[in-house]
Amino acid sequence: MNMLLQELDNMVVYSLIIINKAGGLVFNRDFNPALNKISVNDLLVLAGTFHGVHAITKSLTPSSLGIPSKERTGIEVLESSQFRLTCFQTFTGTKFLLFTEPHQPNVDTIIHKVYELYADYVMKNPFYQLEMPIRCEAFERGLMSYIRAK
Amino acid sequence: MVVYSFYVFDRHAECIYKKKWAPRPGSSSRVPQPNGVSDDQPQSKALSAEDDAKLVFGTIFSLRNMVRKLGGPEDNFISYRTGHYKLHYYETPTSLKFVMVTDTKTNNLRIVLHQIYVSLYVEYVVKNPLSPVEHPEGAGVNCELFELGVEQFVTASLQN
Repeated sequence: MNMLLQELDNMVVYSLIIINKAGGLVFNRDFNPALNKISVNDLLVLAGTFHGVHAITKSLTPSSLGIPSKERTGIEVLESSQFRLTCFQTFTGTKFLLFTEPHQPNVDTIIHKVYELYADYVMKNPFYQLEMPIRCEAFERGLMSYIRAK
Repeated sequence: MVVYSFYVFDRHAECIYKKKWAPRPGSSSRVPQPNGVSDDQPQSKALSAEDDAKLVFGTIFSLRNMVRKLGGPEDNFISYRTGHYKLHYYETPTSLKFVMVTDTKTNNLRIVLHQIYVSLYVEYVVKNPLSPVEHPEGAGVNCELFELGVEQFVTASLQN
């Protein structure tokens, strides 16, 4: 029992959400039950809200900085007292949201590895329809073995 | 560290204080285009200070609710960072919201915002008998001492 608890303590990636370029939820997986369980409906709302907020934060870039609109970025890291949310946006507009423990190091590496898995198992899957929910066993298997090994 | 702006919102989502700081001379990274075309998009120019405050409130409101939903009612939204700026957030138990926008290298400013609340807002605004409790028409904090205090606080203790 103690071993099991320790193992749970060591896993610090809470969950992964993938949002397509239109703000729709295409994938979500919980790895650690530290965060509240929320219904799929609420999760869809969350994905849409985050998509909108991401766009607003991009336009909130102080104009005195003189950064051209193309180079502005939206939220990259969000911190709360219980978790940290790292957002990685690909060039095509897909967003990867990784919820981790507040002090988890190397989140960038993890998120890039997840992107790699996505590119390999989802985008190269001939049966995958773009912008649709991801139902791909190989991707989930790869994801699980990578995150669990952390 | 560089402070870009500072906002205070009351519990009715009204922006009761906002202040923007101009960048220090020479710190602007704007480069004139060779063909003489400005790279600023007109849409961002059209944003007035009021629009900015509304957008900031919308953002922190959504993010706060998102954080509460995921982390439980005791969880607090602290800050977010984009590639170019960082927004710090502090909410008092009475739902007053303090927001400060700084450069990305700044550490957590929660304590600083708490200090502004305790030593400036409470001292000069709450304890001022002439200061309105509610701000129905966006009257805002009309208190010279508070404004002076914030100004001094930011220029002296932060911009070094």
